[in-house]
Amino acid sequence: MAYTPQYGPGTTRVAEVRRNQMNPHLKLEKMRSVTDEDIVLIMGHRAPGQAYPSAHPPLAEQGEPDCPIRKIVKPTEGAKAGDRVRYIQFADSMLNGPCQPYQRTYLEMYRFRAIDPGTLSGRQIVECRERDLEGYARDLIETNIFDPARTGIRGATVHGHSLRLAEDGMMFDMLQRCILDADGVVKYVKDQVGIPLDRKVAVGKPMDAKWLKENTPMYHSFAGTSFRSDEEYVAYVQRIHALRTKYGFMPKEA
Amino acid sequence: MTEPQYPQLRIVPTRFLNPETTEQLLEKICKVGGIRRFVLNGPNLPAKVPYGPARGTVNDNSYRRTINVCGEDYNLHVQVGAILLELEDASAIPGIRAACDEVFADKFPYGVTEGIFMRSNMTTTDYAKYGIVDDVRILGMSDPKSKQRPIILQGTK
Repeated sequence: MAYTPQYGPGTTRVAEVRRNQMNPHLKLEKMRSVTDEDIVLIMGHRAPGQAYPSAHPPLAEQGEPDCPIRKIVKPTEGAKAGDRVRYIQFADSMLNGPCQPYQRTYLEMYRFRAIDPGTLSGRQIVECRERDLEGYARDLIETNIFDPARTGIRGATVHGHSLRLAEDGMMFDMLQRCILDADGVVKYVKDQVGIPLDRKVAVGKPMDAKWLKENTPMYHSFAGTSFRSDEEYVAYVQRIHALRTKYGFMPKEA
Repeated sequence: MTEPQYPQLRIVPTRFLNPETTEQLLEKICKVGGIRRFVLNGPNLPAKVPYGPARGTVNDNSYRRTINVCGEDYNLHVQVGAILLELEDASAIPGIRAACDEVFADKFPYGVTEGIFMRSNMTTTDYAKYGIVDDVRILGMSDPKSKQRPIILQGTK
């Protein structure tokens, strides 16, 4: 019988959102549109319209050694062209943010190719070839795993994910890279490392509290669904914890 | 630590405050009177980007600005998350609660707690870090060696 991944345990809506985000057969819901130029501006790795700088000659010119693995694994467009490796980094508010670092890494590993994610408590970075990165960044910004107010695109100085929100609902950002403009649209005024942009880059309106509560993969007893309310999830975590703890004694499950 | 002689309060709103709201709240609290000293607590907003590729770039931030409290200008460089107050006596507490109710009524919930939030005398660590501090009013409020001095609001007595 073919193996069907379960992606994760849990009976609550939060657990379901986690599974849906991880499942590569489910398309992420598109919520907003951002232009290529906007993505390039926010990331700040190259000027819009500039050719992709390369780290090595294109693979076709380079002369690949005869290697069975290279025959199995097809290079991505960025690797083929010899692009540099660049990154995008996100910080997600713990107050019902639409994604969270571990979840981001899981879903990216299921959905994208040729990436190197780095997971930390308050931020998640994903590195890959520049050309591929711009495509992936589009998915990460335009779909339902991004909220303009509670997700920050922050290359450096990321602090804020665990803090209270500002009065206008924006997550704390020491560098105030994005602002909630008078028209209700969140606009980036600095790129992801804090260098001011020549023009404001709009990333859409913040989602409302009800939508966020429905679409967060984070348990939060104060702002959303409490972890303890999901008995199946608690039991699963306890089982993993017990097995890991007892591992040195070679445990056998009854 | 010895017991403080004066009652202390901490006001914690559920959101970080805008400079405008901070100004409005402090104005009302200061009018109540009976406050010895207060601290605005919150995450720092530096004037320049402190690290990363943009290090040294001017950090434009709308939350970092000068506010006016009881006629005194103060350069606000934190996003205010809590306000610590030390009072002359407990009689000012109802007035402060009323001021908070008025400001936060149509915004978001807040909490006011009584307790010990500022030092009343120096600890050994304070001696090690700062040496002898002449102005004891600043103890437990901020770094005595900081270049930014506290402001003194006149006219409440």
